Amino acid sequence: MKKILFIILSICAIFTACKIDEPDKDLKRIVFDPGNLKFISTSLNTTKETSSALYGNQEALQSLQNETHHPKPNSELKLVTWKYHANPQYIGGTITGELLSVETIKTDKTGKIFYQIQNSSETENFQSNKEERIKYIMGYKPVVRP
Amino acid sequence: MDSLKKKKTINPIAIVFLAILGVFAILQLFNKPLEGKPVAKKIEAPREVLAILENSCFNCHSNQQNLSWYDKIVPISWAVNKDVKRAREVLNFSEWNYSAGENQGKMYAILNMMQSGKMPLHNYTLLHPSAKITTKDVETIKKYTLSLSSVAPAKKELKNIHQNIESQENNRTSKFPVSPNGVKYTDDYKSWKVISMSTLFDNSIRVIYGNDIAVKAIETEDFHPWPNGSVVVKSVWKQEKLSDGEVRAGEFINAQFMVKDSKKYTDTEGWGFAKFSGKDLHPTGKTASFAKESCIACHRQLAEKTGYLFDVPMKVNTERLIKNLQK
Repeated sequence: MKKILFIILSICAIFTACKIDEPDKDLKRIVFDPGNLKFISTSLNTTKETSSALYGNQEALQSLQNETHHPKPNSELKLVTWKYHANPQYIGGTITGELLSVETIKTDKTGKIFYQIQNSSETENFQSNKEERIKYIMGYKPVVRP
Repeated sequence: MDSLKKKKTINPIAIVFLAILGVFAILQLFNKPLEGKPVAKKIEAPREVLAILENSCFNCHSNQQNLSWYDKIVPISWAVNKDVKRAREVLNFSEWNYSAGENQGKMYAILNMMQSGKMPLHNYTLLHPSAKITTKDVETIKKYTLSLSSVAPAKKELKNIHQNIESQENNRTSKFPVSPNGVKYTDDYKSWKVISMSTLFDNSIRVIYGNDIAVKAIETEDFHPWPNGSVVVKSVWKQEKLSDGEVRAGEFINAQFMVKDSKKYTDTEGWGFAKFSGKDLHPTGKTASFAKESCIACHRQLAEKTGYLFDVPMKVNTERLIKNLQK
């Protein structure tokens, strides 16, 4: 009888003693901080399943409003791209998930353009053509918000 | 002697029981039956879909109640009448005066409620086990709902649940309109942080902004409940497809506000809802309680885990990553 009891208790112990570490222990809900830049525009790439937010300062906003496709001096823009997923809370919708990349365009007071891309995963390095990307980002139109 | 004592101790309980029964019997005489309403326009759907809705939903969400005898007995009838009244306010299959787009939005809401197991209500299926829905039923509803996307008319006519609530034209051309429940429109959100971006039914594109209080609540996972003063705004645009297939924000549809004030908005889990549509930002709703009959039903059932707010950022990123990228 004691043996049986011991076996039962041991089995119970096996199931209770090991607690698997929470898989999302290091994961966080994050909000991108664009610093002093403001949201200007957004896009959706349904092939790559990505969604982007474009931020910029006043000079950047003016450059995009003018549709000159060229950033004015002292402009700063950031294109932040996220992977999107089917919305776990609502069938029929999608929501942004993992942050993938941040692209930055800056111009100095002479109008010289600097471009930089930071990817979330170092192995996955976008072979992006700098000129192409600047042209692409400068092609955004500010969203309409009455 | 012993048995006599026993009798004495039992008696009061029996008396109380009989008294309660008596009170209920009297109340039953004055019990007001559920208000009968005619069927104005019944929902149209394939037979198999209708069969599920009629079996599991119609008892509360229609004017065609087929209640059991015990549903009419006090005190059960009180709960049933209250539930039916509330259910009809939110969704009534007998008053289905909706456009194709609105019908699609409603069907998605129904599908989401069923799939998440929120509807039919658990305490309803306890007493009415035949109303339980099976995974096969959910599949049938899902198949039908998804089919609505492909037959839906041109994008211009497509609407969703956040676009169809009857709107009240605001004659004032004020730049800062006010919703009937007191939520004020503000331009401030244009400089707030973007908390997430979303789409709905492949026809709208949305950007969600949060004020500092809301952003802090998200980052510290402190939204059970959301702190008072949290404000979240969602800009909604029509999707505009570029020639290369990329989607951009096209025509502005509306700006949806959720303002947390637990003392003011007690009927809607402490959230004040508002929607300002079109170029003139006209507010939605005819009365201060409009959100009680529309918005909160879905938010309460489907977004409880995130404090009744949809589109809270997903918990999928690491802090190290964001620090690296924000450098």
